[in-house]
Amino acid sequence: MSAYLPPLVIDVRVKEEDSRGFRIWLPLFLLWPLFFILLALALVGTLIADFVLLLGGARYHHHTLLVLRSLGLLAAARGTHVRANNDGTRVNVDIY
Amino acid sequence: MNEDRKRILGMLAEGKITADEAEMLLDSIGTETDVPAPTPTPSAGWPTGPSASGTPKFMYVKVTGKDQVDVKIPLALLRTGLKLTSLIPPQAMEQINTSMSEAGMSFDLNNIKPEDIEDIIQSLREMEVNVKSADGDDIKVFCA
Repeated sequence: MSAYLPPLVIDVRVKEEDSRGFRIWLPLFLLWPLFFILLALALVGTLIADFVLLLGGARYHHHTLLVLRSLGLLAAARGTHVRANNDGTRVNVDIY
Repeated sequence: MNEDRKRILGMLAEGKITADEAEMLLDSIGTETDVPAPTPTPSAGWPTGPSASGTPKFMYVKVTGKDQVDVKIPLALLRTGLKLTSLIPPQAMEQINTSMSEAGMSFDLNNIKPEDIEDIIQSLREMEVNVKSADGDDIKVFCA
């Protein structure tokens, strides 16, 4: 099930040599309830569409799986880390 | 509140410095303490080359030279992406293949079968790409 959990937090830190820098900590888990409602609606739509396509004899009827795998792709982005350093500007992006 | 801030405010209260001077001093402290400094590159604890054994878990992109960039991407992202290709509707897949062909990458994504994905991931362990760019940056891509 955790393979389908979208990212919890995105942490962006920017530090420039001569300035204060800033940090953005995005608590994506706060958006999960809205996201899951939209996902549930999308899944209902794709299930109906796939069922109709299956009854109609269409070869392709995998829209529901496509939505679920796309969710998996989003979830797989957890653990991505980027560190960049250029001319005294340091940028860190972490997806948890 | 840290000791430096207390000392500056104390000096202001005692009239030893003006409000402007205090503001300037507080600003200079702020640049050092407000935002925790990001981890310097190259990132500590990250491997510097492909792992000799085991299934690789991450793909690393390291750029050294004038620019320093470290990227760590979970291979689960690649695995899920490859699995997703088998579910793309045929019409969309044709368009993707045509666009890739036009961009000089003429291979059919339909040829990637879900049962081959683990083999592809496993063989990435032996992959290492080293590029030396014209501006002196070294780019290294590997899985570990």
